[in-house]
Amino acid sequence: MTRFAETIGDAIVAAVRAVRDLWLVYVGTVAGLVRKSRVPHRGEVARQLYAIGNRSLVFVIVTLGFIGMVMTYEACLQLSRVVGDYTQVGPQYLRLVISDFAPTLTALMLATRVGAGIAAEIGSMKVTEQIDALRMSGVLPIDYLIVPRFVASVIMTLVLSTVGGAVMYAAGGLTAQYSFGVNPNNFYGLQFVRPRHVVMMIVKALSYGAAIPVVAGFCGLRARGSSEGVGWATTAAVIGSSFAVIVLDFVISAAALFVTGGDL
Amino acid sequence: MSAYIEWRDVHKAFAGKPVLRGMSLAVTKGEVLFIIGTSGVGKSVTIKHLIGLLPIDAGEIWFDGERVDELPERKLAPLRRRIGMVFQSSTLFDSMTLAENVALPLRKHGGMRHAAALDEARRRLAQVYMEEHAERYPAELSDGMRKRAAIARTLAVGPAGPAKPGQLHSGPEVVLFDEPTTGLDPVSARRIDRLIRELATSLGVTAIVVSHDPPSILGIADRVALLYQGVVHVVATPAELRASADPIVQQFIGGQSAGPMETPGF
Repeated sequence: MTRFAETIGDAIVAAVRAVRDLWLVYVGTVAGLVRKSRVPHRGEVARQLYAIGNRSLVFVIVTLGFIGMVMTYEACLQLSRVVGDYTQVGPQYLRLVISDFAPTLTALMLATRVGAGIAAEIGSMKVTEQIDALRMSGVLPIDYLIVPRFVASVIMTLVLSTVGGAVMYAAGGLTAQYSFGVNPNNFYGLQFVRPRHVVMMIVKALSYGAAIPVVAGFCGLRARGSSEGVGWATTAAVIGSSFAVIVLDFVISAAALFVTGGDL
Repeated sequence: MSAYIEWRDVHKAFAGKPVLRGMSLAVTKGEVLFIIGTSGVGKSVTIKHLIGLLPIDAGEIWFDGERVDELPERKLAPLRRRIGMVFQSSTLFDSMTLAENVALPLRKHGGMRHAAALDEARRRLAQVYMEEHAERYPAELSDGMRKRAAIARTLAVGPAGPAKPGQLHSGPEVVLFDEPTTGLDPVSARRIDRLIRELATSLGVTAIVVSHDPPSILGIADRVALLYQGVVHVVATPAELRASADPIVQQFIGGQSAGPMETPGF
């Protein structure tokens, strides 16, 4: 019984420490952004914009395109069984794509591809002492490794959410038209979209874009030992950054409901 | 002579397992001191404590009259300008060329501008005969070449050096070498030994070397500290070590599997 209590206690202490360390990485990242650095990392930011944005483009387009097709097909199928009226499918779908699906699904895709990449790269540097070498060279590892990825991820999550949302919407429209004969003029209506939905999309995309590199970088910095430690860090980064996206989605959606008085 | 660097009753444990158990060691200025011992005994840990890469659990560490074990990360930069470290693996950054690798501490510690730092980095690489590889990436080079470039990066901290190839110019007052000859062919290993000796003899640099390599230990060390069971078992010159009747020393120096020495995992 005592041993069980000790195990639970150790787990709680470890979890609290992990949350504290994650918070310190986040604070360090924000501090790195505002700190006037003598040597800017513009080249590294450009490299990360390409790695996170350009190299994720096809992945995001394909996955969101297929998800858009499946969702629209399922929606039209259910409607055909109940009322057979498809006039609201497209406009309501667009509202959901903008306010939730596009940023959240894009971020979940990026959490797997980008989160794993960041954790593996930083984790490898950690176990091969390159992080220590950075510190010895007078470089704060967070400034050099996480801040450029943070900047690139925030920008590219917003860009990819926009592109992914457009693809998702278009793919859904084509599915509705060719599978259920829905008139494109009805589907591509904007009547349910309001500025607050666009604001939600931007807030969500920026929040997810900020969370993914911080969580993944934190996991990479905690890598220990050798390749096994890097593997652990990569897995933890994918789970952690995906979880962060889901939690942020809930928090931001709940906050939006509260702020708008439920008028979304 | 008073101690230039001193570990006083240092303790360190990992996941509850003690590694250093009251380790004390004093280093004088300008000497080449080797720290030897079996794997996992805490040699690398000892030198990483000095520069704040690992925190100690208890004890004190002093450098040039100042206690350094309590310094927070943001106050360690001046210390790391005075103490450089060559890591066991080369630790060159894969995404940078050799010149960019060497230029990084020049920019960060030395405050040089990018172009000037790259020019200076090429000069520093020339000092270890690596100038023709300045624009190549670490993955394109052999272990020995990477090690030499890593040494150039470590020595880059400090004032501008001479342009003459092969002529060393050290910035740091102390250089820590973590197994510098491990994985190298004998010729490259002896060249690294010569470079370490030259740093101490010509430039007065204090070198602390973690090593398992008997030719290095007996060839270039001024003194040798044998770490055993978490404490310094003996500190002696190579000649004294050879003549020692201590069975632990004899077993280690002779590389004998049988003897009184306890080795974890065997």
